[in-house]
Amino acid sequence: MTPLRQGSGTQGLECPQEQLVVNAVLSGMWPARADESLVDHAATCDTCREIASVAVLLRDDVEHARIEMQVPAAGQVWWRAAVRARLESTHAAARPMTWMHSITAAIVLGIFLAVLTAIWPMVPAVIATVRSLSTDVLPSTVVTSAIAGGLARSAVIGLVAAGLLLLAPLAVYFVLSDD
Amino acid sequence: MRDLTLTDMERLGAFDEAERTFQMTEEAFRTFYELTARPVRVYLARTTGDNRLADDLLQETYYRFLRANVTFTNDDHRRNYLFRIATNLVHDHRRKPFIEVPAVTMHEVIDEAALANAAESAARRLDLHKAMKQLKPRERSMLWLAYAQGWSHEEIAGAIGVKTASLKAMLHRARQRLLKALNPGGGS
Repeated sequence: MTPLRQGSGTQGLECPQEQLVVNAVLSGMWPARADESLVDHAATCDTCREIASVAVLLRDDVEHARIEMQVPAAGQVWWRAAVRARLESTHAAARPMTWMHSITAAIVLGIFLAVLTAIWPMVPAVIATVRSLSTDVLPSTVVTSAIAGGLARSAVIGLVAAGLLLLAPLAVYFVLSDD
Repeated sequence: MRDLTLTDMERLGAFDEAERTFQMTEEAFRTFYELTARPVRVYLARTTGDNRLADDLLQETYYRFLRANVTFTNDDHRRNYLFRIATNLVHDHRRKPFIEVPAVTMHEVIDEAALANAAESAARRLDLHKAMKQLKPRERSMLWLAYAQGWSHEEIAGAIGVKTASLKAMLHRARQRLLKALNPGGGS
């Protein structure tokens, strides 16, 4: 057999024979049952000698690890993957619904704020009307002022309550939803 | 992810859907898994240095593999693709805090010592683990794929996403670093 040349590849970075050396080590033939010329070559080639020593160590480690290491059963890995695929597809299917809920909530909130903005300027006028009516009906200014003040506070409390009644269910919905 | 309780009907549904979603049947997967699981698990354990993480990444590797929309030309192509996924997962994970490579446990050493020549073998493995610990995750991957899996330079370059010419130099440096770590007093 033709003797193998020493590797002079990329400035000692590689040798044309290195893959043969690795294959011989990984097949368990190195060095006793390997091609003699390859073993002789490795003895004189720095690259192949290094590679052989590293490959022997790693192969030894692989052989021990493969005996010692436990892997999950194939069925278990398949089952987990199947369940995860199912969950991911469910999430993907539910995503447009979540978007629709968010848009609906935004629209409802917008309408509420628009209505609030529209009726807010009317509140003083309503209070003034009630005050004038009560002045006509009730002669005492103290009673009239008390009724008008109570009405003004009630109007504010009513608007805040309406806002809470609208926003609280929306807030609860978004807090408790998965996304 | 929150825990779920699945009824039998839901399980059956999940399996039916899996058959449609995944690129292979359960039967084909079992065969492929039996051939590849241990090498991939060893690779993940040695490159991450964390057995629990390796278990998680093993599951993730096969999940991504099953969901991959790739047409494989042969078994080698399929196996290389699997290792590429595993390599990418390890590299994604390395951006997290430094990965500690644990030394061989006393349990393993004691078991090995019971066998002929086992003490020497265990010591060599312990040295190897310590030396690998000093390398970067990418260097561990390269060395493992090259010299424990026997991959070609082109295959490794494809798996870790570098040019083949660059890989040769990187592999050379990684090898030198490993040998230096194994033999700190001597030369390479």
